[in-house]
Amino acid sequence: MTDADHDPLLQRAIDELRQVPPLDRDAVRRVVSAAAAARLSAADEPMFVERAARGRSIRIWSAIGMAAAAAVVGFVARGQWRTGGERPAVATALAPTSATPATTLQTAAVSDADAKPVLQQFVFDNARAKRVSVVGDFNTWNPSSAVMTRSSDGGLWSAIIPITPGRHIYGFMVDDSLFTLDPRAPKVRDADLGTDGSVVIVGRP
Amino acid sequence: MTRPSQARLGLKTAGRGNHLTTSPFSLQRPAFAAALDPKTISRAKLGDIDAFTAIVEAYHSRCLRFARAMLRNPDDAEDMVQEAFVRLYRALPRYEERQRFESWLFQILGNCCRTANTAARRHDVQTVEDDDVLARVPSPDMPDTQFDHEWGDDVRRALADVPDYNREIFLLHYIEGFAYDEIERMTGIKQSALKMRVKRASDMLRTRLAERYG
Repeated sequence: MTDADHDPLLQRAIDELRQVPPLDRDAVRRVVSAAAAARLSAADEPMFVERAARGRSIRIWSAIGMAAAAAVVGFVARGQWRTGGERPAVATALAPTSATPATTLQTAAVSDADAKPVLQQFVFDNARAKRVSVVGDFNTWNPSSAVMTRSSDGGLWSAIIPITPGRHIYGFMVDDSLFTLDPRAPKVRDADLGTDGSVVIVGRP
Repeated sequence: MTRPSQARLGLKTAGRGNHLTTSPFSLQRPAFAAALDPKTISRAKLGDIDAFTAIVEAYHSRCLRFARAMLRNPDDAEDMVQEAFVRLYRALPRYEERQRFESWLFQILGNCCRTANTAARRHDVQTVEDDDVLARVPSPDMPDTQFDHEWGDDVRRALADVPDYNREIFLLHYIEGFAYDEIERMTGIKQSALKMRVKRASDMLRTRLAERYG
């Protein structure tokens, strides 16, 4: 038995709080557009090109994403984007995405030479996996973006990918379903998503 | 005799005493909404925007209800729900299907709301320093004709008095229907502590409402 079993006043309050607001389809459209804009970045472009011939949904995604990115630019230009928290801001929509707005600003502030991607090698040991890819904030956690190559002995996977200098959170996606940390890298708690990620610092040589 | 406030609530007194009787409440936690088709989530994971739209349509209203009750500034609820869905979409490739999708979504949304409340609290501290101004600010503890004394408003105002850390667990359990073991997995807080938080939130809510409707 709980508190509410004994207390009609409390139960009545709970019933009041359970009332669900009606579905606002305009709000749903805004959410979907914002999400698509947030994923539409330079890192996504190869995926869009690669998938363009595959099906209708990806073309729709691309179209909605482009429209949403334009809408986001419009919002920012008109000063209508409210402050506070992480937003699919213009920097996110037009530049490679990063974990926080602060990082995005830092990335934008460095010179072109400093922001030039650096080749970074990732190695992962898993003999049973059929497919492994590197996913991280540098490729918007897209498992199709950086598929790793299996070594000749079959147990080691590796990939060399260009990454913008800075601190990045990443992991390995095993068989497109299991997110695994890099056992050789420090890990950090992702405060937003409640999961851990591995950390790599990418710098100029 | 039925007091006006009780009549509005549909509560009736029995005999001469002040004993309230209502229809029995058989359900304490709401039943979960029909689970989303796992294929929809898998398709969204692979970037299918139609599947993601279906997810947003399925959960947007519930998320909005939760955010409005959680946030110090309920007007920010829609923005916060949008932010949670954007984060979810970006993190979808990392979603493991052995997790319950709904728990994961509310975990993200809870984090967003907590962050917003922290920022709002900091803002309050920085901006309200004048005692004269504070004295004029209407509060639920003092009579003010500007307050709308409707039941729904009173409930929400009473809930807003419950500390954030107790209110969140109360909402997850009683309003969103998560079992304690699931909330434990979502928050990392032990079940005994969760039950205590829900009890404290319930006690405070009941006390606040009883001042007017008891």
